[in-house]
Amino acid sequence: MSLTKITRLPSARLLSSIIQQQQLFLLPPITPVMTVSKRSMLQGEYRRPGQPKEDKFPWEKIKFDFAKGLEGIKKHFTLLKTECFERFVGPEGRPLTVHILEQNRVIWEFRGPESLEQWTVSSDREIGGQSEVYLKLGKNNTCFLYGTLSSTPPRDGETRYSGYCTMRSKQLLASFDRKKHHDWTSFNCLHLRVRGDGRPWMINIAGENYFSYRKDDIYNYFLHTRGGPYWQDVKIPFSKFFLTNRGRILDDQYYLWLDKINTIGFTLGDKTDGPFQLEIDFIGVCKDHAHTEEFAYEMNKKNP
Amino acid sequence: MSPLMFSTLLLALGLGSTVTFSSSHWLLAWMGLEINSLAMVPLMARPHFPRAVEAATKYFLAQATAAAMILFAGMTNAWMTGQWTIEMMTHPLPLTLVTLALGLKIGLAPVHAWLPEVLQGVDLTTGLILSTWQKLAPLALLLQLPHGNSPLLIILALSSTLIGGWAGLNQTQLRKILAYSSIAHLGWMMVILQYAPSLTLLALLTYIVMTSSIFLLFKLNNTTNINALATSHTKIPVLTLFAPFILLSLGGLPPLTGFMPKWLILHELTMQGMGTLATITALTALLSLYFYLRLSYSMSLTMSPNNLLTSPLWRLRPHQPTLPLAISATSATMLLPLTPAAFLVR
Repeated sequence: MSLTKITRLPSARLLSSIIQQQQLFLLPPITPVMTVSKRSMLQGEYRRPGQPKEDKFPWEKIKFDFAKGLEGIKKHFTLLKTECFERFVGPEGRPLTVHILEQNRVIWEFRGPESLEQWTVSSDREIGGQSEVYLKLGKNNTCFLYGTLSSTPPRDGETRYSGYCTMRSKQLLASFDRKKHHDWTSFNCLHLRVRGDGRPWMINIAGENYFSYRKDDIYNYFLHTRGGPYWQDVKIPFSKFFLTNRGRILDDQYYLWLDKINTIGFTLGDKTDGPFQLEIDFIGVCKDHAHTEEFAYEMNKKNP
Repeated sequence: MSPLMFSTLLLALGLGSTVTFSSSHWLLAWMGLEINSLAMVPLMARPHFPRAVEAATKYFLAQATAAAMILFAGMTNAWMTGQWTIEMMTHPLPLTLVTLALGLKIGLAPVHAWLPEVLQGVDLTTGLILSTWQKLAPLALLLQLPHGNSPLLIILALSSTLIGGWAGLNQTQLRKILAYSSIAHLGWMMVILQYAPSLTLLALLTYIVMTSSIFLLFKLNNTTNINALATSHTKIPVLTLFAPFILLSLGGLPPLTGFMPKWLILHELTMQGMGTLATITALTALLSLYFYLRLSYSMSLTMSPNNLLTSPLWRLRPHQPTLPLAISATSATMLLPLTPAAFLVR
């Protein structure tokens, strides 16, 4: 039995006799026709500006496809087979000598269009703002993030500030869509080669968390770009990153554990309207043996 | 943590295990296990990092489940046979349930998933207590149970040695490697439990000595992953020389101590007519040996070109006491001549 597009109450003509009786009893008149649109049934009465319009019921959105299923089986079992046998080469598929000698590792290098598949961009358009952000492969085979920032807040009555754009790496997945993490314990600095336009960016590193109230915990630090035609090599020690949650700095700070990193991201939110661009050559990690600081920020002693 | 609270928790830890050792009633044994796990949880969450709190939570959930299963098994046995004594749990249903529950308590495969994550989240000292002291009480109970001809124990043992070896190959974090090594050794202890429980006890004691020495070694070098291990030769060069012996002892190579329990277990299994099982268990030990060899290769057999830009640390006196490591390392490598020959003469 399928639902019709618009649901209606019974016709008003049948109610006419009741209406006369109600008028006798001085009751408020019944409206003749009441309709409930499909869209309001799916997303409630209020649609947040920036949310996509919902036209289909959830079951109408599924596409069953046997070929897609077979492709999925092949992909996941191939990944599983690689996982089972790569450990004989060495931990995590890399030979042991690599783990012993490693001092630098390039994690993301933008040398082809498939490297952009690992990143996702978003802006305040999702909440109804007017910023735009686009990601493409730049002229020199580098990642080129560009767009326009607009700090006009959306007119939804509750948002006061707006104007942000962000680029975030996608979560690594093992076979059967299990989460995989980056293990950067052999390193202690983040090494980036960027060419910005002078705007201050923020680098967000998200680690794996167990508790649900920690799901938005992100480590942040600033990236001040120089602008200009020359590439900028930036090395940020991981000890400088501080802990925040949804934009607010947390009171209870601790250093970043590098053994389960999920994603890295770059955010621009400097309250300045106008175009922006950021070009990234590579993102890597390195070990600086001279940097022995564990955490850059002092904490008060708890439970003395 | 205030010294008073810290010492109370350590005493409670000792008390819990002691109560379990001295009990013959299931309720008292369960009480001891609960005191033990409840005292361990604040010790694990002491630094208050989210990872430490996560490890403490996972530990608590696993141990509480196991304790509830143990209590249930004890009560089921009392209901079915009228017996509360640990040694008189002869009915197969509560016996299976309590074996699985005690397996969950110590981290036997296939209920081992909590152990690597928990060990990774705590510091090396707490990890040492978790790997050594916390195994004693559940194993004391397992030793007293009247296992007949139990295929469950064989399945637990084989899967532990296999999973402990296989999963440990993919790790670079030392604490996770030691967790999988613990799982593999527990598998060896379980394989002989129903035939010669005294060999299980011997394997447990040698495992405790060897694991203590490796944890103390890593603590002294302050290393938690293979990359840091590679540069630890500048810190204490003598330990860099000695560490492969401790690691190979864990791997079970003669003429080191670790060979003793493996030899006696294989001998006993063969005497019992379980030659195939003995072969398979010995083959799975090769997997564990591979990752111990990797560790000794990275630490001692290769010299990392990466230099630590600090003053030669071997010139400075270590702040940590080195006596426990001295004793345990010597015991972990030189006790093979003390093999109890009673097991070999039949």
